Amino acid sequence: MSMRIRFTAALAGCLLTVSTYGAPMVPAQNVVQLPVKNDPTISFRIWFQVGSQDDPKGKEGLADITASMLTDAATTTNSYERILERLFPLAAGYGVSSSVEMTVMTGRIHRDNLEEYYPLLMDAILRPAFQQDDLNRIKSQALNALENTLRYSNDEELGKAVLYGDIFAGTAYAHLTTGTVQGVKSITLDDVRKFYRTHFTQESVVIGIGGGYPESLVDRLRKDLGELAAGRAVVTPPPTPAPLDNFRVTIVEKDVPATAISMGFPITPLRGSKEWYALAIANSWLGEHRNSSSHLYQVIREERGLNYGDYSYIEQYARAGQLTKPPQNVSRRNQIFEIWIRPVPNEARHFALRAALREYTRLVQHGLTQEQFDRQRAFLKKYVLHYAPTSMERLGYALDDRFYGIKGSHLELFRTMMDTLTLQDVKDAIRKHLRLDAMQIAIITTKDGAALKQALVSNAPSPITYRTPKPASVVEEDKEISVFPLNVKAEQVKVVGVEAVFER
Amino acid sequence: MFRVSLLLLAALFLPERPAMSGSIIPYTYQKEILPNALKVLIIPMDSPGLVAYYSVVRTGSRDEVEPGKSGFAHFFEHMMFRGTKKYPAAVYESILTSIGASHNAYTTDDYTAYHLNFAAEDLETVIDLESDRFQNLAYEQREFQTEAGAVYGEYRKSITSPYALLNEKVQNLAYDVHTYKHTTIGFEADIKAMPEAYEYSLSFFRRFYRPENVVLVIAGDIKPANVMTLVRRYYGGWQKGYTAPAVVPEPSQKQERSGEVSYPGRTLPILSISYKGEAFDPSNRMYVAALVLNELAFGETSELYKKLYIKEQKVEFIQGSVPMNRDVPLFEVGAMVKKVEDVHAVRDDVYGAVAGFQKTPVEERRLADAKKRSKYAFLMGLDTPNRVAGGLARFVALTGDIEVIDTLYTTLEAVTPDDIMNAARTYYVPERRTIVVLKGAQQ
Repeated sequence: MSMRIRFTAALAGCLLTVSTYGAPMVPAQNVVQLPVKNDPTISFRIWFQVGSQDDPKGKEGLADITASMLTDAATTTNSYERILERLFPLAAGYGVSSSVEMTVMTGRIHRDNLEEYYPLLMDAILRPAFQQDDLNRIKSQALNALENTLRYSNDEELGKAVLYGDIFAGTAYAHLTTGTVQGVKSITLDDVRKFYRTHFTQESVVIGIGGGYPESLVDRLRKDLGELAAGRAVVTPPPTPAPLDNFRVTIVEKDVPATAISMGFPITPLRGSKEWYALAIANSWLGEHRNSSSHLYQVIREERGLNYGDYSYIEQYARAGQLTKPPQNVSRRNQIFEIWIRPVPNEARHFALRAALREYTRLVQHGLTQEQFDRQRAFLKKYVLHYAPTSMERLGYALDDRFYGIKGSHLELFRTMMDTLTLQDVKDAIRKHLRLDAMQIAIITTKDGAALKQALVSNAPSPITYRTPKPASVVEEDKEISVFPLNVKAEQVKVVGVEAVFER
Repeated sequence: MFRVSLLLLAALFLPERPAMSGSIIPYTYQKEILPNALKVLIIPMDSPGLVAYYSVVRTGSRDEVEPGKSGFAHFFEHMMFRGTKKYPAAVYESILTSIGASHNAYTTDDYTAYHLNFAAEDLETVIDLESDRFQNLAYEQREFQTEAGAVYGEYRKSITSPYALLNEKVQNLAYDVHTYKHTTIGFEADIKAMPEAYEYSLSFFRRFYRPENVVLVIAGDIKPANVMTLVRRYYGGWQKGYTAPAVVPEPSQKQERSGEVSYPGRTLPILSISYKGEAFDPSNRMYVAALVLNELAFGETSELYKKLYIKEQKVEFIQGSVPMNRDVPLFEVGAMVKKVEDVHAVRDDVYGAVAGFQKTPVEERRLADAKKRSKYAFLMGLDTPNRVAGGLARFVALTGDIEVIDTLYTTLEAVTPDDIMNAARTYYVPERRTIVVLKGAQQ
C-alpha cells in the first residue's frame, strides 16, 4: 500500500480521474445515495467501519487521531496550509465524526466548485502525509480536551463520560472516543500508519453521497476509493458489559459550584425494532431532550427551579449540551437508558437525584395514561420531521439505517410506528427493559464525597429549602421526595478525584 | 455574548444572481407593516410541509440600563413561557407537544428571538399561541421566583467554562458606562437578586414587548396572503407603547486597558485582545472592510494562524471576531496559548500581524478569495426555513429590516485593499485596546 500511495502521489494532478482498466472499485452495494436534484450542494459522508472500539489496548484515542490526521493535516499533494488556502474561497471544508463504531468523513460543497474540492477530499482520504508536526498538533489538542476541558470546564459532559466508562468498564466501549491521557500520549506516527493501513480499506468504506450531485460522481468515487488498501480488519464483537444488578455510584470530587448527575443502565433494543419505538414514546414523555414537555424537566426545573433542564435517552446523544436534535453517525450496537440532570445547587444534589429516580420509578410502575400516550405519539410523529431537514442530515440517517440494518428509513418507520403502536406495547416495553433494581450513577460534585456517600448509603432525609415560596402541592410532594429510598450499599460507592478519570 | 463571524455575515450574501424584486435575497419575500407598527416578513420557500416562525424582539442585554438589572432580558425570555389566562403554561406546552413543534428562544446583547418549527397545517395554531403570549402574558410572583432558580442554574452550568469567565472580565473592563459592560446572562449578584424583581418584570413586558419593537419572520411552506390574513386577525389588536431605554453611549477610549483573571480549575492560558470597533454600518466601506480584515488577518489562511497554530504550534487555537451590533462592539482576537511563558510572544505576534495590515495593502487575489467565499457561504447557508429565518433575525434586530443586506453586500463588493488598510489603522490601535489574560489556578 505504501508503494501505491507514493506512486499515486507522484502522479497527482494529472492522472487523478483516470482509472486503470481492472483497477479495484468499491462495490456498488457499499454506496448509499440520496439524490436531491434541486439541491445546489453536494454532501459527502465517507464512512469507515472503524471506531474507538478498535483502538489497541494502551493506544486509546488512535482511531480518532488517525481520522484527524486525514482531515486536519497535510497530504502528500499539499501542505496543510495550502489545503486551507484552497478550501477558503470555496467556503468549504471537510471534517470527521468519530464515535465508538463509526468514523465518517463529512464534507459539503456547492456544485459549482466540485472540481476544485473533490481532489482535496480524495487526497485527504487516500494520500495522507502523516507528518510528525501534524501529529504533535493533533495530540496536543486531544490532550488539552481531556486534561483541561473535560475534567474542568464542562461537568455535564464529564458526568456522561464517567457514566459510560463505568457501565462499559472492561469492554472496548469503555474509553472515550477521544481516548485516555496515557493512550494519546503513547501514539506514534507508526501507530497511525498501521491503523490507517488496517482499518481505512476498500472493504471497510461505505460511500455516502447526497444532494445535487452528477450521476457520474458515484462511479468516480467508487474508482478513486478503490485505491484504498484491500482487506478488512477483524470486526470487533459487540461489548458485553458486566451485569448490573444493584445501584452503583461514582462520585467525582472537584471544586464545583454545582453538582452534575448522569445515570443509567444498558438496554438491548436498537432502532428499527418495534420495542425501540415503544420505548421511545415512554422516554419522550419522561425526558424529551431539550424540550420543556419533558416530565423530569417539569418536576425539577419548571416546578422547583433547581436547574436548567432534565432529560432521558434510549440512545447515546453525543454533544447533548449543544445539539437540540439527535446527532447522526454515532450508531452503536449497545445502548444505555440514561437520565441527565443538569447541574443543581450542591445542597440540592441528593434531593434532585431522589426526585428524578422517583419519577422514573413511577413511570416504570404505572406506565403512561392513554392521554399521555396519545399526546406523546402525536408529538413524535411530527417532531421527527425536524430531525433531518437538510440533505446532509438525511444522508447521515441513511448511513445509520444501513448500520442498524433498517430496510427503508428509520424516520419513516418512526412515523408509521406512532400510528400502529398501542399503549399496551409501551407498557410491555417498559416492563421488559426499564429496571428498578439497578442503576449506575455518576455524580460530579464538591470535595465532600465521603459525606455524600454516607447520606446516600444511610438514606438520610434530604429536605429541600427554597429561597422563594412554592405551592402547597409542591411542598407536600417534597416531603415524599426527600425520603424516597435508594438502595445504595457502601461497597458500591466509589469516590475519585477528577485527576483520576480518563487517565488510562 | 452572541458573536457573529464573517461566515455568518457571508451567509447572507448573494452576488451574480437574478434578484427577486431587485434584492440580493434569493427568495421572493413580502413585507407588511400593520397599523400598530408590527412588521412582518414572509418568505415562501420550497420546504415541503415545514415552516419556521421567528418573533424577533429588538431588546437584549443592551437594553438593561437600570442598575442591578443585568441579565433581565434573558430572564424575561424564560418568563415568556409562563403562560396567559387563555393558554396557561401547561396548556401552551400541551398544544405545542400535540403538534410536534420544535420551539425555543434565545437572548443576545441586541435582541431576543422566539422560534418555532412546525408543520404547515399548524400555522394558525402557532399564530394564535404566539400572538396571545406576546399580548397577554400573565404570571404570578411565585412562578416568577421559581423561574429565577432555573436561570441561576443556567448560569451555574455555564460558568464552569473559562470562556464565560473571560468574557465577563473583558466586557466589564472594556466598557465604563455602556450596557455592553455586562454579558447577556448578567452579573451573578443581579441573577441572585432576580426573585425580588417581580414588579420590574411586569414593567419590562409593558415597555419592550410592544408591536413597534417586534418583527415576525416567517419562512417555509406558506402562502403570504393566507399568513397575512391570520397575522392581522391575531396581532391587529396589540397596542403600541414601546419606550426606548436610554442606553448611554460609551465615551471614546483613551488608552489601553489590561487585566488578568484567574480560573479556579485547570486550563491553558487564554489571551483576549479586543478593540473598540464600530456599530453596524453597512454602507461604510471601512466598517465592512473590518469584517474582511478579521478573516484575512486572524482566520485559518492568515499568516498569523500558519505561524502560531501550524508551524510553531504555540497556540491550541487562534481566531478573530468582528460582531455586528447596534452599538460599538469589541473586535476581538482570542488565542489559547500552550505555555504561560509564550503569552507575551503570542500577543506580540498579533500586534505584528495587525501592523503588517496597517502598512501593506492585501493582495487583490486574497481579497477576491474572501469575496468568493462570501458568495458560496451564502449559497450554501440558506437551505432550510429555520436557517433563513434565523439567519435574518440579527439583521432584523439591528435595523428592523432586511433590505440592509443588499446595502452590506454592495459595500462588500466595493471594498478595496486600501479600505482594509484603513480599517486596520483605524480600529486596531492601542488606545482602543483591552487585553486580558486568563490563567488556571490549578496547574
